[in-house]
Amino acid sequence: MDKKYGAYICTGCGIGEALDVDALVSAASGQGMQPKTHEAFCGAAGRQVIEADIANDGVNTVIVCACSPRVMQDQFNFGDDKITIRGNIREQAAWCREQPSDSKSEDTIKEYYTEVAQDYIRMACVQAKKTDMPEPFKLETMNKRILVMGGGIAGLTAAKEAAKAGYEVTVVEKSGALGGKALGWTKQFPTKAPYSELVAPTIGALVAEVEGNAKITVKKTTEVARIGGAPGNFSATFKAAGAKSEWDAPAKVGVDEQDRIAKGQMEDPNAGLKNYMEENPDAEKYGAVVLATGWVPADVSAFEHLGYGANSKVVTNAEFEKMVKEGKLAGIKSVAFVQSPGGEEHDMDFPYCNSVTSMVALKQAKYVREASSDAKAYILYQHMRTPGNMEMFYKGIQQDDGIFLTKASVTKVEAAGNGCVVHAKDTLLGEDLELDVDLVVLAAGMEPTTKHEATINLAYRQGPAFLDLDLFDGYSDSHFICFPYETRRTGIYTCGGVRKAMNMEETIDDATGAALKAIQAMECADRGVAVHPRSGDQTYPEFFFQRCTQCKRCTEECPFGALDDDEKGTPKPNPTRCRRCGTCMGACPERIIGFKNYTIDMIGSMIKAIEVPDDDEDKLRILALVCENDAYPALDMAAMRKHSLNALVRFIPVRCLGSVNMAWIKDALSSGMDGAILLGCKYGDDYQCHFVKGSEIANKRMDNIGETLGSLGLEPERCAMEQIAITDYDKVPTIINDFVEKIVGLGPNPFKGF
Amino acid sequence: MKVNPDLDFIKYMKSAGGDALKKCYQCATCSVVCPLSSDTKPFPRKEMIWAQWGLKDKLIADPDVMLCHQCGDCTAYCPRGAKPGDVLGAIRAYAYTHYGFPSGLAKMVSSAKNLPLIVGLPALIVLIMWILSGGMHVPSAEDLARYGFGHFFGHWDWPWLTKNVAFIDMIMVPAAGLAVYSAYRGVSAMWAAMAKQHDVNAGYRPSVNQFVQQFLWPAVTEIIQHNRFRECKANANRVTGHLPLMLSFIALLFVTAYSAFTQDVLGIFFPSLHGPMSMINPVKIVANIAAIALIFGIGVLWSNRAAAEAESGTTPTFYDWFLIYEIMAVGITGLCAELGRLVGVPVLAYFFYYLHLVSVVMLFLYMPYTKFAHLVYRTFAMAFEKYRASEFVTK
Repeated sequence: MDKKYGAYICTGCGIGEALDVDALVSAASGQGMQPKTHEAFCGAAGRQVIEADIANDGVNTVIVCACSPRVMQDQFNFGDDKITIRGNIREQAAWCREQPSDSKSEDTIKEYYTEVAQDYIRMACVQAKKTDMPEPFKLETMNKRILVMGGGIAGLTAAKEAAKAGYEVTVVEKSGALGGKALGWTKQFPTKAPYSELVAPTIGALVAEVEGNAKITVKKTTEVARIGGAPGNFSATFKAAGAKSEWDAPAKVGVDEQDRIAKGQMEDPNAGLKNYMEENPDAEKYGAVVLATGWVPADVSAFEHLGYGANSKVVTNAEFEKMVKEGKLAGIKSVAFVQSPGGEEHDMDFPYCNSVTSMVALKQAKYVREASSDAKAYILYQHMRTPGNMEMFYKGIQQDDGIFLTKASVTKVEAAGNGCVVHAKDTLLGEDLELDVDLVVLAAGMEPTTKHEATINLAYRQGPAFLDLDLFDGYSDSHFICFPYETRRTGIYTCGGVRKAMNMEETIDDATGAALKAIQAMECADRGVAVHPRSGDQTYPEFFFQRCTQCKRCTEECPFGALDDDEKGTPKPNPTRCRRCGTCMGACPERIIGFKNYTIDMIGSMIKAIEVPDDDEDKLRILALVCENDAYPALDMAAMRKHSLNALVRFIPVRCLGSVNMAWIKDALSSGMDGAILLGCKYGDDYQCHFVKGSEIANKRMDNIGETLGSLGLEPERCAMEQIAITDYDKVPTIINDFVEKIVGLGPNPFKGF
Repeated sequence: MKVNPDLDFIKYMKSAGGDALKKCYQCATCSVVCPLSSDTKPFPRKEMIWAQWGLKDKLIADPDVMLCHQCGDCTAYCPRGAKPGDVLGAIRAYAYTHYGFPSGLAKMVSSAKNLPLIVGLPALIVLIMWILSGGMHVPSAEDLARYGFGHFFGHWDWPWLTKNVAFIDMIMVPAAGLAVYSAYRGVSAMWAAMAKQHDVNAGYRPSVNQFVQQFLWPAVTEIIQHNRFRECKANANRVTGHLPLMLSFIALLFVTAYSAFTQDVLGIFFPSLHGPMSMINPVKIVANIAAIALIFGIGVLWSNRAAAEAESGTTPTFYDWFLIYEIMAVGITGLCAELGRLVGVPVLAYFFYYLHLVSVVMLFLYMPYTKFAHLVYRTFAMAFEKYRASEFVTK
């Protein structure tokens, strides 16, 4: 595309008063642009000016230096065939000025912030020059069938909903019958008003609906051996349940392990299995996967004072449900339901419990009462959780004369005669209790199947299972707030018990959501755009393989396992798995990875476009590379709320801190800038990073670059990274000022002017 | 504590006004609004879970349950509609029946289905006595004006005791005697249960004198002053009803005593004291004012109760309404009999007098088993509270 530039500097919203407009115009001129000014480019008249240039002069690359790129996106959208670059001179120059003081006059402040805006204009011009038109990535063959793993309520609902939306679905069920855990229920929670009574199981109807649906193929007593490929082109190999197959998903073998295997120091864990990159010609093709493999009851034998295992009168809720289903309640006149095992030590519920086990206890108490009119059911809890409409269920169950509830610390369960004595302290009754019961039921939690095995069985470079399972107790990692269904593997969505202990109603909602996400993933892959969180992004990482040194950093660091590799270690990109965060680009020491509108060269050139005065000790220049998801909005918000941002700092938004290539830091320092700070999301087990690992990886890289700087005679303190939440707009000016002060203390960059 | 919930007790409470007791979810709003509640005894929150768990023995030995005067604040503020006030009423109703002696009579009076028997039994007794007395006729207007109801049960010339009084005593003394004995037994049993429940191990017992002076009399004064009643918010109007009603009972007790003394003691020596009291006799004036206060008081309580049922969902119970009807009957029949006498219509006068006697017998006889029993149980529960906090127990 031959680019024809049009630059526009807005003087509205106070920009014209706060800054020296002539100086702004000259900054653009210095980049070879002839900018036009207007007091409101976002208004009809202003837009007219730009549209006239597009129509008359063939402008196809529009540089709007006005407000933040986060606002007025519709006003400055000139169509998919135009490149639009935004320079943020409103929020991050005009609106974030300091107040005049004794030490700084109005004129000085205007001068300083005009310089800020000039740099943003220069950077915008450079960015425009370095940006190319994106071309969406298209798969050669596109599949829009959905694979649903697991035939319980979650899987069946996902299948049903996807079929209803017009997609073909295959349901794979390990056992010989569809229905999952629900098959074992005598009754189930209510799902509609008045929500107060147990209802007959509805699983039969759901199974019949799925089995009778022409769009749904059901494979019983079948398991998934491996899934290779990528969204829009997954290839799934099936096998008989429990069988071994050469197509079983291979374990991850890292670089070091590969060495040791080669040297014979270690056994190959994948001996007898096909290489993960090998494609099974018999595999079936799918566009997306819904993982609904559910949960398994947690083991409760560790709580010795409750006697499970040793005392036959102590059973789990799952076992009790089975007893009821098999009609073995005869002679049981009193049952204690113990919800929390902590005794006097703590009030935690059994591991992997949540509201579901509370409600199960309520349900099972009702079973006891329905079996015999003089039976008694005691529920001893530390927490009774009945969210939403289930509060009505709690109220309904509570009405039963023979169901007795109290908060309690259960300290001991002893065998006595034909039953047990339950000892409880700290009860609502104001006294310690001793209950003679025929049976004790423990509220065993619901462990996700992913806690125990790979489950999803991917043939990926990064291994068959989801990543960082330990971080969330075996649940697959997703972003709880920003994108709850997503796993760390694009195109694969979890729902039901494997994602969270949830009841049937929640599961149905969840599975419907997962089915829709799966459809969305396939349709996005079909259109060649990112699905989430950069929904609709047409760019994708492109590799200049001639210069690849097979260092494998990109394949290792990609948070989403988008990159496979060949025998030599050359990465094999799977663009439909990619979320476009650019972590690979940040990782690459050879700088061979880039996007059409986001490259190492582009940001590097923007950094170099910042004017660094080499003879003015007051005018230090500090680079801030800012995560565009949280930290950059925080800066905008700070400005909107009249906080001032330091005039020595130049902010450049980046897709994710993971995409920050250390070359940029070197660029900044070698062009005479005095310091560099990265502002990114919180990381750790309560991370807020949209791309999960970006800020964490960036932090590690910054540690390493600190050492490099030291060896060059530069203070490592000139580089830093700070974690900013989107709500930290009130703190971020101080964080920046503190860093600037530190740099001022260190003095100017000794390499300035070279 | 070994716990074994009593399902029948729960059923009873539910049938006797505590139908919503299972709704309680222990938020303790009731304890926040209840003037009886303290930091260490979250009343009636704890009683509510005891009730849910059917812990009968704990509840009937709980002084707080007896101290509650059903102001209704807890019911009004309960976010769950569990109506703690009504549950406590049901527990008291149960306790009166439980402590009542003889238990057959106590049980009979506890249920509306026995109403024909409850009313029929005293009606029959009075009728039989009337027939037996031989005074069984409607007097002339002159006789009525002259003797009042003094010859209702006939007349004999034995100066030491009039026939009328003899027959009235024959009815009332056994009835009242049984009531007093039953109340004594009940209160003793309650006291023992409370002492056991609260682990009272007194070093030495207070003498009767000490007991009256230090515990009973302060309790009575407090009751008369209605201090606790005045702390109610939801039903502040109840003082307006209960206070005149209680004062009228005290006044009528005094009038009855005075009348008995003048007629049956002084009357022996001064026969002119027999017959109806002059309307301008100060005692008669007190009596008439008391009668009106009684009707007014019970009327206020009647309308309060009806309003509570209509507005805040209080459950109508036989336990509550029986006492209201009974007292209203005593007042109305007494007044009508007096009016009949003053107007000089012997048939009506005698008819109402008969009904009046019946209603008074019911009041006396059933006192320990009906809501009227609060008269003694509540007083002694208050005394127990004071006793428990006294140096007899704490040292």
